[in-house]
Amino acid sequence: MELARLPISASQRGKLISAGYTSFSSLSSLSPSTLAQDLKISDNEALEILRVVSQGSRLDKPDGSHAIVNGAQTAWDMLHEEESLKCITTSCVDLDDILGGGIKCKEVTEIGGVPGIGKTQLGIQLAVNVQIPVNYGGLGGKAIYIDTEGSFMLERALQIAEACIEDMSGNSDFLQKDFQSCQVKAQPKDFLQNIFYFRVCSYTEQIAMINYLDKFISEHKDVNVVIIDSVTFHFRQDFDDLALRTRLLSGMALKLMKLAKKFSLAVVLLNQVTTKHTEGSFQLTLALGDSWSHSCTNRVILYWNGDERYAYIDKSPSLRSASAPYSVTGKGIRTATSKCKRIKIM
Amino acid sequence: MVWSCWKMFNRTNRIDMLLQGGLCVGHLTELVGPSSSGKTQICLKVASRVATRYMGGVVFIDTGNSFSPLRIAHFINQIPDTIFKEVEQNILEKVMSQILCHSVFDIFAMLDVVHQLEYSLRSQVQTGADQVRLLIVDSISSLITPILGGSGPHGRALMISAGFLLKKLAHEHNLAVVVTNHMVGGEGGILKPALGESWKSIPHVRLLLSRDPGSSICHMSILKHSYMASGRAARFMI
Repeated sequence: MELARLPISASQRGKLISAGYTSFSSLSSLSPSTLAQDLKISDNEALEILRVVSQGSRLDKPDGSHAIVNGAQTAWDMLHEEESLKCITTSCVDLDDILGGGIKCKEVTEIGGVPGIGKTQLGIQLAVNVQIPVNYGGLGGKAIYIDTEGSFMLERALQIAEACIEDMSGNSDFLQKDFQSCQVKAQPKDFLQNIFYFRVCSYTEQIAMINYLDKFISEHKDVNVVIIDSVTFHFRQDFDDLALRTRLLSGMALKLMKLAKKFSLAVVLLNQVTTKHTEGSFQLTLALGDSWSHSCTNRVILYWNGDERYAYIDKSPSLRSASAPYSVTGKGIRTATSKCKRIKIM
Repeated sequence: MVWSCWKMFNRTNRIDMLLQGGLCVGHLTELVGPSSSGKTQICLKVASRVATRYMGGVVFIDTGNSFSPLRIAHFINQIPDTIFKEVEQNILEKVMSQILCHSVFDIFAMLDVVHQLEYSLRSQVQTGADQVRLLIVDSISSLITPILGGSGPHGRALMISAGFLLKKLAHEHNLAVVVTNHMVGGEGGILKPALGESWKSIPHVRLLLSRDPGSSICHMSILKHSYMASGRAARFMI
């Protein structure tokens, strides 16, 4: 009997049964005063009983078993789910290696670095790479690009898209796959069509945009990545009330986490760096302070090592700390070779 | 009242030695530390330990999508108490099925989950092996920071009532509860734990974590404990 499981006192249970209530459904549509009259108990007691009943009926699963917590998943199920999740490649073999295949979906990844290191380039590359068709190992999805600084260059995106298509047809020739029906008919313009571009000019617009994303992505279910470039720009200057800034930022971080989990997409946040004075020396850290550093699942820091660009995994729940070189070429982000070095300004 | 402690790693492990036993059942333990200091890793390790060694259920409330089933499987394979050299698939499945993970993104959802857990525990539906023994909230500070401060005292009231609810759950149902907290800049640039003065008195045990940059050696010291002196420290590797 369902009522036997309820955590109520024996006398209350006895009264319920003698009044004729034997299951959750018989109690679900009652008001507290009616129940109080029937059982001759106080209104508060009746309210308590009904509250307990509603909780119990929520936890009952259709197959008759009882869930401990509604909506929870076991680690075993999640392990299998994780194996089927795809990653977004960055087009650089070393970088993909340390990231465990690429930028993972369902996680928020923060990428930070000094100006000129290639953050926007990486952002545009990811917006293009997410559209690689499933046959070629990609996700075949669309991208949302939220630009706060105005650094998105259309010509560069076109260039990267063209190079991506070239690589794809190069690969299919090499593998001699017979893709009669799925030949790369894509034009660079099609790639651009699948990038939803938003320009925000103030922090209120940015927060409004993120609030709106939930509705937008529900209507465009094939979006697989949201790139925000850069997430810190509007919060750094002219913010008088720092406490308000902390609240807004942590609220925003939670919303992004929720988006990533709910729609199984990757959220990529590009961030600037600032200097921090600790123990007498200056250290480069990501902007927005210590409270923001907890708002991402993974963090990758891009830095210069001599003349080469390197990426370092700073924070990750499952990846080992490692660094890998990469380069920015005319075709976009690619694996580092000895030729691609920083140009010294004479 | 009988206190029992869950050994976090093994008898000779430094953290268990530091805590003179391990995590205490009935206590609310807080892990506080700057970013990437090992808080989530310790939570995952303790979860796998309790599920394997003590065959207890674990509820992991995750606010930052940091729960990594891969890492849990890795920890389970590492624990030397298992009978078989290579953990077989069905044992792995059995152990991992006891760890439940729920993602929440605001304080009310978390309170809802905790109430549901309380209801389940009171209903006595669970038998022996499945009894929930450990509740982890990683991290509670990211849920509270958006509502703390501001014009009204509601945020602080919610934080304190959440803390009391967790302590009540730990005490009444013999659970060990672990929460993680992050750090914010204080005066003079020194980091201090987030959530302010009111939160300080809520956890029974507060442990401060830090990591030497660029290495995997972590440092844990006791900020507050029911029966041990604060200031004791230990170093360990993740």
